[in-house]
Amino acid sequence: MQATAAKPPRERQWTGQNSNPILGLAMILPAAAALALFQFLPLITAVLNSLQSFSPFDQSSTGWVGLDNYAELLADPAFRSALLNTFVYIALMLGLTIPLALVLAVLLDKRLPGSTWSRNAIIGALAASEAVTALIWNQMYEPSSGLFNAILNAVHLPTQPFLTGSSQALISIVIMSVWKDVGLPMLIFLAGLQAIPRELPEAAELDGASERQVFWTITLPLLRPSIIVALFMMTITATRMFTPILIMTQGGPQGSTTNLALYSYMLGFEFQSPGSASASVVCMLVVLALVTAAQSFILRDKEAK
Amino acid sequence: MAAGNNSSKPEGISRRALLAGMAGTALAGALAPGLIGTARAAGNGKIDLGGYAGPELTTEPVTLRFMRQDFTPDVNALLEGAYAEFTAAYPNITITEEKVPYGDLQKKLLVYIASNDAPDIMMGRTDFADAYHAGKVALPLQDYFAPEYVADIPENLRNAASSGGNLYCVPWETSVMLLYFNRDLFEKAGVPTPPEVEGLEGGWTDEELIARLEEVNAKLKAAGDNQSWALAAAGQGNGGPGANYSQLESIWIRSQGDPNAAKDSSAYKTLMGISDDGLSVSGYIDTPEAIKGMQYYQSLFSKGLTPLGPVPNQFPGGIAATYFGGLNFTNRFRVPGQEPKFKWGVSLPPKGNIVFNGNGSDSPLVWSKAKHPAEAVALLAFLCNDKNRLAFHKAWGSMPSRTSLRTAMSEFATEQPFKMASALSDASYSVPRTPGYFDYFNAMNPAVKDIALGADPAKVLPDTAAKIDRLLAKYK
Repeated sequence: MQATAAKPPRERQWTGQNSNPILGLAMILPAAAALALFQFLPLITAVLNSLQSFSPFDQSSTGWVGLDNYAELLADPAFRSALLNTFVYIALMLGLTIPLALVLAVLLDKRLPGSTWSRNAIIGALAASEAVTALIWNQMYEPSSGLFNAILNAVHLPTQPFLTGSSQALISIVIMSVWKDVGLPMLIFLAGLQAIPRELPEAAELDGASERQVFWTITLPLLRPSIIVALFMMTITATRMFTPILIMTQGGPQGSTTNLALYSYMLGFEFQSPGSASASVVCMLVVLALVTAAQSFILRDKEAK
Repeated sequence: MAAGNNSSKPEGISRRALLAGMAGTALAGALAPGLIGTARAAGNGKIDLGGYAGPELTTEPVTLRFMRQDFTPDVNALLEGAYAEFTAAYPNITITEEKVPYGDLQKKLLVYIASNDAPDIMMGRTDFADAYHAGKVALPLQDYFAPEYVADIPENLRNAASSGGNLYCVPWETSVMLLYFNRDLFEKAGVPTPPEVEGLEGGWTDEELIARLEEVNAKLKAAGDNQSWALAAAGQGNGGPGANYSQLESIWIRSQGDPNAAKDSSAYKTLMGISDDGLSVSGYIDTPEAIKGMQYYQSLFSKGLTPLGPVPNQFPGGIAATYFGGLNFTNRFRVPGQEPKFKWGVSLPPKGNIVFNGNGSDSPLVWSKAKHPAEAVALLAFLCNDKNRLAFHKAWGSMPSRTSLRTAMSEFATEQPFKMASALSDASYSVPRTPGYFDYFNAMNPAVKDIALGADPAKVLPDTAAKIDRLLAKYK
């Protein structure tokens, strides 16, 4: 029997020579249309609305007011407080979620006993309804009959106000959000860990590197792309945090938990000011753009240059 | 009043009780035709269109949309039965309805108005009559209703539903806030119960209420009862402090006012809650009297007399000595099989300078751009005729918004809670008059909550006044 040498498959290369420009345009059209309709149009509408005033009764435009809505916002102490709180939410969410997610991912990657159960529990929290989760945690934080104070009282510690104290309410919401949202960065890290070739840590261990050295010098640098994705995702999540705040504190006590998302909602739907609400939304987008740009700058790959 | 020992025929929300109530109502209507003066002949006399006195209805096909809150199944069934009766008389008219969660009703109304495609009839509130006028949101109704029907609405409530000389909505019911108490818990604590008066005199003052509640609290705790509270968490709105300024928490501020004081006095301004032009609240909600009222309110929380957060059903569950609730609780507690497991009674809300009651209430309106205004008003008038209203009040338990309906319900003449509710309603006040009451209300609720949670009223109220002034500027 004569053996026939199998021809290696010819690698297809995109040359652009035989491309059909109409077909190409047709293929990107749905995505471009969707982007234009659902991303850019609302953004442009928000910017345009932020430069107009509206009737508080039927929300019809009553004319262009230039930057008056922005000036009004800056004069409102509640806006300044909401802006500050937005940064605090971002800092706390990133500061707590990313390290915790990393630890959980590393532990799950070791496939210790109970890993499957733990992974399912964390993903379960992520999949749970935000509103339902907030309602449950609201009950647990309740000062007189909540679970957390019952535990504190059982160990003879004083009752804490949690959501009803202006110094604790924001961090209480963040803790609930960390519990709920840690699953997403954890999954990103887990995928990143599983993409690291096993030979690298094994070789390092053979060379005498300790577990800690392996983590800091091999695992963490190789996780860099995953960390960047997780940071961006959590920044967006923290900036637009809304449901738990609305359900658990409605922005109080004394505005201590109001962020720009809630502030914008209140202006638009409770205080009949669509122009100011749009201006606030534009400010929120600027904050998000600034934070993500700063992250991109800090995390840029200097060696890749 | 003891549970289950009411002398009058118990009113129920069961089908049987409902049918009995409707039959009784029909009988009362037949025996006393002159009792409730309405223009029954309008609408070709096919069915009782209540006070409708507008043009004859079209024979062209018409679809009417009605947006309202979701009631209990039996009340929903009542309304659906009424639609069926209406469409049987006017087969060319189709009725569709949209039920909205109660808390979202006014927001949804505003969104519909903004969309320029609003339902023909929407459940509004008397609180927003000035907004309906300023925004040309609602159809003026006085030209569609017989004058005697409009006159049957008590003057203070009629004024609350009117603005600029026009009646913009038809009060569906009226609001009273009563102080319910658990007689058993007061007996257990050895504290005298609140006075069960029939008029506006003789109830507890703010100081007396707080002192008695402190006493109840201390004695119940001393007796080993760590579960019961002196005052139940609010049952209105979101259930916690700052639940519903219009109906509940404004009592603490506006009762410190004085209707007979000079118009430029802080006592008068405290009662009014806003300037005459409806655009400024500084000097009205942050007066020394208002601050004092909020300090009383705050002490309920700081002294541990009531929970800081929402706890549902504390009073019906028998674990609260007192509760602020509407007349529907009285009606509910009288239903056989639904009586609470404790003896109960009703007293006045606490008196500051006056006994204050806000009469803001649900009131359907007809959209100003409704394509078929006469048909929409006729349907509304039909839903508000004597038979349908009496059946509704018997099933839902709320207080009627017309004098003749109260006359037709014997309990208002014979039983203490109803007599007291009637007196409170007659002396009630509308919400502060402004086209921006939605803003006002939404700014006051969190301020009240902040005060309950410990913020200084002397700081929060002026800050809130400045905020509301800013918000009202757009209504100039």
